[in-house]
Amino acid sequence: MKLIEKTFLYTAIWLLPVMIIGSIYCFFMIEYIAYEETDEYLTYEMDRLKNFHKQHNALHEFHKTANLIPNKRYEKPFFKDTMLLEPGDNEMVPYRELHFSIKHEEQNYGVILRHLLPGRDDIVQGTFFIVIGLMLLIAIIIILIINLITGKIWKPFYGTLNKLINFKIDSPLPTFPVTSIKEFKALNGTLLSLLKKISDDYRNNKEFNENASHELQTHLAVIRANAEKLLNISYSNHTIGINELDKIYTASTHLSQIQKSLLLLSKINNREFSKSTKVDLCKIITLSLETFSEAAQLRDISIQTHINPVIIEMDIGLAEILINNLIKNAVKYNVQNGFLSILLNNSSLVVKNSGQPFRGDPNKLIERFARGENGNLGIGLAMVKQICEIYHFTLNYSVSDTYDHILTVYFQPAFNPF
Amino acid sequence: MKILIIEDNIKLLEAISEVLSAEQFLCVTADRFDSAYEKLLLYSYDILIVDINLPDGSGLDLIRAIKKHNPSTGIIVISARNSLDNKIEGLELGADDYLTKPFDMAELIARVKSLFRRCNFLGTDTVTFSDITIDVTSRTAWLSNTRIDLTKSEFEILLFFFSNPGRVLTRACIAEHIWGDNMDLVDSFDFIYSHIKNLRKKVSACGGKDIIKAVYGIGYKLETNNK
Repeated sequence: MKLIEKTFLYTAIWLLPVMIIGSIYCFFMIEYIAYEETDEYLTYEMDRLKNFHKQHNALHEFHKTANLIPNKRYEKPFFKDTMLLEPGDNEMVPYRELHFSIKHEEQNYGVILRHLLPGRDDIVQGTFFIVIGLMLLIAIIIILIINLITGKIWKPFYGTLNKLINFKIDSPLPTFPVTSIKEFKALNGTLLSLLKKISDDYRNNKEFNENASHELQTHLAVIRANAEKLLNISYSNHTIGINELDKIYTASTHLSQIQKSLLLLSKINNREFSKSTKVDLCKIITLSLETFSEAAQLRDISIQTHINPVIIEMDIGLAEILINNLIKNAVKYNVQNGFLSILLNNSSLVVKNSGQPFRGDPNKLIERFARGENGNLGIGLAMVKQICEIYHFTLNYSVSDTYDHILTVYFQPAFNPF
Repeated sequence: MKILIIEDNIKLLEAISEVLSAEQFLCVTADRFDSAYEKLLLYSYDILIVDINLPDGSGLDLIRAIKKHNPSTGIIVISARNSLDNKIEGLELGADDYLTKPFDMAELIARVKSLFRRCNFLGTDTVTFSDITIDVTSRTAWLSNTRIDLTKSEFEILLFFFSNPGRVLTRACIAEHIWGDNMDLVDSFDFIYSHIKNLRKKVSACGGKDIIKAVYGIGYKLETNNK
C-alpha cells in the first residue's frame, strides 16, 4: 500500500468516531434549540393572553388558542411534553404544553397552551443530512490537503527512494534531492555514507580478488613451468624425483583451478554479471550436453532429456555457469552404466542422476568446500546456489533410496521490489 | 620466426623464452610496457606474446600499437585475469588467441605453433610426424594414404602430441588442453588413459607404429627416437 493510501485510510478511520460523536452532539443541539424556541414562544403566548385578560377581562380570546379547564389552579406555570393523535395521518406527534392558571370572576381556570415539536425521527433525519454533508465536505478537503502536502513534503523522499531503487553497485554514487526537512536530510546523509561504504567495500573486494588472483596465478605459472621443465629433464636423464615433480605439478594445477573457481564464485557473489537478456535455456542445455557427452559415453551413462522450450530473463554467462555446473556435476559424480535425466519446463529444471551411496544431509553439499565421499563437490554447486539466490530461484537437492541424486531448480516470477 | 614476449614476472618470462627457444623460435623479451613499446616500433615480429597487466601500462595498448604499426603480427594474450571483458576486448582488438595463467608450456607451444600455421608463416597447414600426417584445416589424420578415423578429442590429443614431440605431457596437462576449465569433470587419469588407448588402437589398426610412449605414473610422450 502506498504511503498516501495508508494516510487516507488512517484519516478515514479517525474520522469515524468524529462522525459518531458529531452526530450525537448535533442531535442534542437540534433538540435543545427546538425546545428552547418552543418554550420561548409558549411563554410569550402566555404573557400575551395574561395581558389581554388584564385589559379586557374576558376569556373568549383564550378559546381560540388554548384549552380552558375550570376550577383548576397551578402554583406556578410549568412545561410538559405530550403526544397527541394527529387525525390527518393518524399518528401520534409530540407537543409541548405550557400549563398556567388565571383568575377570572373569582374562579380559577387552568390554561394549557400547546405547540407542535419536531419529532425525534425528524431530528435524526436532519442530523443525518447535516453530518453526511459536513463529512463529505471535510473528506474532500482532507483529500485535497493530504494530496497537496504529501506531494510537497514527501517529494524529496520519493526522489531518494527512486535513486536508491535504480542504484547499481558498480555505478557512481547517486546525488539525492536537496531538502530542508531535517529527517530527510539525516536519511539522505546516512544513506549516502552507507552507500559509499558499500561501494568502497565492493570496489576494494573486487580489486583485491583480481590482484590476488593475478599474483597467485602468475606465481603458479612459474611453479608449473619449472616443474614441467624439471620433469622433462628428470625423465630424459632417468634421475629420481619424477613422481614428486608430478605431484608438485598436479597440486599447482589443482590450486589454480580452485582459485579460478573461487574468483568466479566471488564475482557471482559481487553481482558482477548482471546483463539481463532473454536466454534460451534449451540451447544452453543442448550445448552443455554436447560438451559433456564424451565424458558420459566413457562411463556408458545413458542420457534422457525432456526439454520444453523455455526462455528466461537472466545474464547469459550466469545461465551457462548454472547449467554447465549442474550437468557437469551430474556426469562427474555418476557411476559406470549410470543414467542422467534432464527435465525442463516453464516452472523448473530437474537434473537427476545415478550416483554413489551418500549418507548425510544433501543440502550440505551445496555449501562451499563441502565434501562428498570421493572428493569435493562444493564449489560448482556453491555457484549454482549463488546464482539461484540472485534470481530468487529455489534450489532443492535430494538423494533417493536408490542413490539417485536429484537437483531441482524452481524458477519463480522475477523479483519485483513493489 | 621471431617472437616478442612481454611479461612482467621475470621468472615466468625466462621460462617462456627458454621453452620457445628450445622449439627453435627466436625469442626477444620485454618486462615493461616502455621497453616493449620501443621494441615494437623498432623491429618487426611474427608473433607477440603479451601479458595484459604490466606495471607501467596495459597490454591492450600494446596490441593497439602493433595493429597500427604491423597488422600482420600474430598476437597471443596471456593474462591472469580470467575476466571475460579483458578477453573480449583483447580479441576485439585483434588478438588471435587468449591464454589464462597459469598455463602449460606444452599448451603455449601448441598455441604458438597453431598460430604460425594459421598465419601461414610455415607455408603449410599440415603437421607430419613419423609416418602420420595431420591436416589441420580439414581436421583429419592420414597414415600414408589411409585416413585414421579419429574422434574430436582423439584428434586434439594427437595434434597436441605432434606440437610437443619428445616432451613429457602429464595427464593433467592433456586433460586441460582438451577440456579447459572442465578438466576436473571426470577422473582425468581414466579419461586420458581410454583416449590414448583408443588412439593407439586406431593408429596400429592402420598399420602405424606405436609412437606414443607411456611415462609410468605421470603421463605420455611422443617418442622421437622412432624416426
